[in-house]
Amino acid sequence: MTNLNAVDPAAVAQDAHLESADVVIAKSTIIFRRFMRNKTAVAGLAVFLGLTIFSFVGGFFTPWDKETIDPFNIGMPPSGVHWLGTSQAGIDLYAMTVEGTRISILIGLIVGLVSVLVAAVYGCTMAYFGRKVDKVMLFVLEALIMMPALLVVAVATSGGGDGLKKNLPSWLLLIIVLLVFSWMGTARLIRSMSMSLMQRDFVKAAQYMGVPPRRIVWRHLVPNIGSLLVLDITRGVTGAILAEVAFSFIGIGIKVPDVSLGVLIGGATSQVQTFPWMFWVPLTVMFLLTGSLAMMNDGLRDAFDPSSSSVGRAKKNSAEKKSK
Amino acid sequence: MSTFLEPADPAPTAAERLHIAGLHSPSDAVLSVRDLNVSFNSENGAVNAVRGVNFDLMPGKTLGIVGESGSGKSVTSLAILGLLPATAEISGSVRLKGKELLGLSDKAMCAYRGNDIAMVFQDPLSSLTPVYTVGTQIIEALTIHNPGMSKSAKETRAVELLAMVGIPSPRNRLKAFPHEFSGGMRQRVMIAIAIANNPRVLIADEPTTALDVTIQAQVLEVLHKAQEETGAAVVMITHDLGVVAGIADDIMVMYAGKPVETGSVDDIYYDPRMPYTMGLLGAVPRVDVVEKSSLVPIDGIPPNLLHTPTGCSFAPRCPLVTDACLDGEPSLSPVPGTGYHQAACIKSGSLGGDVDVHEIFSAPPVPVSRFDLIPRGERSTVLELKDVRKHFPLTKGALLKRRIGTVKAVDGLSFDIREGECFSIVGESGSGKTTTLLEIMEFHKDQDGEVIIGGISNKQAADAKTKSAMRREMQMVFQDPTGALDPRFTVYEVLAEPLQNAGFSRPDIKKRIMELMNLVGLQPDHVNRFPNQFSGGQRQRVGIARALAVNPKLVVLDEPVSALDVSVQAGVINLLDKLRAELGLSYLMVAHDLSVVRHISDRVAVMYLGKIVEIGEVDRVFDNPRHPYTRALLSAIPVPDPQFERTRERIILQGDLPSPLDAPKGCNFATRCPVFAALPAAKQEKCLTLEPPLEAVRASAAAQALAAGPVPPSDQQFACFFPDGELDEDMLVVHKTAEPHAP
Repeated sequence: MTNLNAVDPAAVAQDAHLESADVVIAKSTIIFRRFMRNKTAVAGLAVFLGLTIFSFVGGFFTPWDKETIDPFNIGMPPSGVHWLGTSQAGIDLYAMTVEGTRISILIGLIVGLVSVLVAAVYGCTMAYFGRKVDKVMLFVLEALIMMPALLVVAVATSGGGDGLKKNLPSWLLLIIVLLVFSWMGTARLIRSMSMSLMQRDFVKAAQYMGVPPRRIVWRHLVPNIGSLLVLDITRGVTGAILAEVAFSFIGIGIKVPDVSLGVLIGGATSQVQTFPWMFWVPLTVMFLLTGSLAMMNDGLRDAFDPSSSSVGRAKKNSAEKKSK
Repeated sequence: MSTFLEPADPAPTAAERLHIAGLHSPSDAVLSVRDLNVSFNSENGAVNAVRGVNFDLMPGKTLGIVGESGSGKSVTSLAILGLLPATAEISGSVRLKGKELLGLSDKAMCAYRGNDIAMVFQDPLSSLTPVYTVGTQIIEALTIHNPGMSKSAKETRAVELLAMVGIPSPRNRLKAFPHEFSGGMRQRVMIAIAIANNPRVLIADEPTTALDVTIQAQVLEVLHKAQEETGAAVVMITHDLGVVAGIADDIMVMYAGKPVETGSVDDIYYDPRMPYTMGLLGAVPRVDVVEKSSLVPIDGIPPNLLHTPTGCSFAPRCPLVTDACLDGEPSLSPVPGTGYHQAACIKSGSLGGDVDVHEIFSAPPVPVSRFDLIPRGERSTVLELKDVRKHFPLTKGALLKRRIGTVKAVDGLSFDIREGECFSIVGESGSGKTTTLLEIMEFHKDQDGEVIIGGISNKQAADAKTKSAMRREMQMVFQDPTGALDPRFTVYEVLAEPLQNAGFSRPDIKKRIMELMNLVGLQPDHVNRFPNQFSGGQRQRVGIARALAVNPKLVVLDEPVSALDVSVQAGVINLLDKLRAELGLSYLMVAHDLSVVRHISDRVAVMYLGKIVEIGEVDRVFDNPRHPYTRALLSAIPVPDPQFERTRERIILQGDLPSPLDAPKGCNFATRCPVFAALPAAKQEKCLTLEPPLEAVRASAAAQALAAGPVPPSDQQFACFFPDGELDEDMLVVHKTAEPHAP
């Protein structure tokens, strides 16, 4: 009846134009390109991946493990037998560092990922329902923020948590306690972001279609704050690693015989003069770990930021075109 | 190239020599732009946003730059002012009174900006600093360029400026902060700041796009006055052909970063020679004529400016395209038989004024609905509102909230929509149009008033089943097509969502989606794309397809085309028209563009402060408006017809919508009413104390005498005591300058 139903020649032309001219670059490609353009961030990613691999396979390169005592080498500096030296008790430092790094990374990743996920669902739910639900959930959140996390960690990992301690390794216990206290800030941020998303028409459209709230939160809100979530995961991982180190340092986090970077650093502080390698090696690893995450975070922020002025490659391209 | 064919001209013309020498004769152009090129870097490569713009602006004249978004209008203006980011590459020449502006440092440009050349921006809400008073900001503009001026002189000048742009009691308002002004008032302040130093050139970039029609008329009037007072030349950038018709002397139509047609305003409107201009003019619906033809859609999207076009940039969308068009980009050349008129089309000679645009662009025929033949009273009702009210309490105090008043956003609204008809609600922002839509879309049983959707009242909507049955009858299309589609959903997911929710099975969903894509004129293989891979018009089509997915009876359209370009808008309006006819849909539309309303609607309601002041068949209401507010609204709509614009009588309403706190007791409109202002005191009393009811228009005695039998009651209703009263002369404006081409 009209030319609207027919295959639109202009649309076809446009189609060809869209595809041939690679006008449309997938968002993920743009983000990847921007990230790769930031050399610091790429270096950070490489260091982080290297440390992760080291923590998992590093143990195979040495005959020692974290429990075997070498009675002939007690408190020895780095040598051919013990690459990084041994502790006062004669345990190989290399083996302990590998083990500690793994525990630290594990704690960081699990706490970072899960707390952001919890925060996302909690924050989005608050924003979606608003009113009373929002008020009650916000009260719970504020209460958790005001709770002294330090004391709870101390109680849970030492005296009060005896029953728990029997069933769980101390690092798992620490993960649980850290999780409970690490998601609130992110949840508040996500709540305010989702509140502005709620004003967007596509959420309204879904509501007017009668889509149930649970589906709207999961399908519309959570994916749309994805870039913030990615940033928050790296931040959360750093935070969790540092928290673990801090707690273990003051002796309320990971307990011996479990090893972590914090335990190693904490145990060695009194012997910096006598056994310097016991202090500096785990500290360096920790710096590499948190430093690489911070470097990555910087690049990720650049990549996800829509107002980023990162168009380096295009400039090069146009210069090339001109020279041709 | 062809140096041996035409004698080379080694010596520049006289004017050129003067330019080079830095001199200019007084009769010369105040602003002259030559071969302006701007390119930006993007993720995809260099974008050539402006490609070779040339124009001369004579003192006191107005140049209108027209084009769709992305055609390079705003970039041109920013390049002239040197406001583009440092990453942009600019070449060419911009001479202000003979002095070259391009290449000047930012510091050197500051001597010109706000002094010789000033700008009025699009968005008045963000152009003023919220933490300084309006007076401080005007005085700031004066201080920078007149360091020697005394404080009292500056203040006097600021008061003078505010008075000039029509701000009441300017001396007191000097100490007011921007948030104490409405949008229209802030735009006036912006104009006052722009003309503070008597600029020679005033650049206005879509100065009225963000404003209501009545306010737009006021601001255009102020701009006109400011130009008269200062004698400045004005560059008016707009996408609305109606706005420039009345005030411009010359028009430049831009497409893909290049001017494609330039000429005097009459040349462009009455004798366009470039198919793009013809299409633009044909795409605009008219508010002043009964129109029963479809609009002219320009299919496709503007070309990609990443690549230099090898042929005419408009060729892919042009219905008259031939092989010759693809061979080299045509440059602006004089139209044969005219002096000043230039067009960049190889066929400009053969496209005279008598060519029918509808034929060239093969506008679709007017679709006829099966309901059109059935009288309105016999069709079933799809939506009925009975005395719907929505009042918001206005509270004050931080701890103990006292109720100090009520905002009557919607106040006793009743209307019905029958099958197959389009009902529109018009009014300024703040009149309660959107609240009405929300009341309908978010129906619940505790509402004040009754909303009946497809025969089910909101009072029965207690359980989820009844609610979803009501939801299925009614779907919504949103104003902003970008915001209405989840950026992370493919088109398939967008369209599948309502279907999944309605419990369709997988194969059925797939089948239905293909049907829908076909229905709204999208390619079936587009289903795997993301919304950001579509143009605005296509996105709106996806939005329409989503609304139609569950076969609703009623589609609620919230400003469905206001976010789209004129050329794309025509295609979407035609699509809506066609769907209504083919599927027997009813529409409830909210729009501020009365021309669109006139084109698409059967019935219209005019709202003012939460009440319907006039309702009826669209042709009756628009041709014979009874309520003074309807008359004012209609007279504020610019018409793309320069002759008509110059001679027409306008009602310029004073001020803005009154705050709900001091809403009058009687007729809401009394504070701004042009009839009320001219009434004798005794009659004014009636307006102020009694609320006029909505009454049917009575046929005049003469008409009753003419018709043999009893006259059927009219469908048109209005709420005014004195519809035939004289209009106040202060609010009437006629442009006496009917001859704009006087030298």
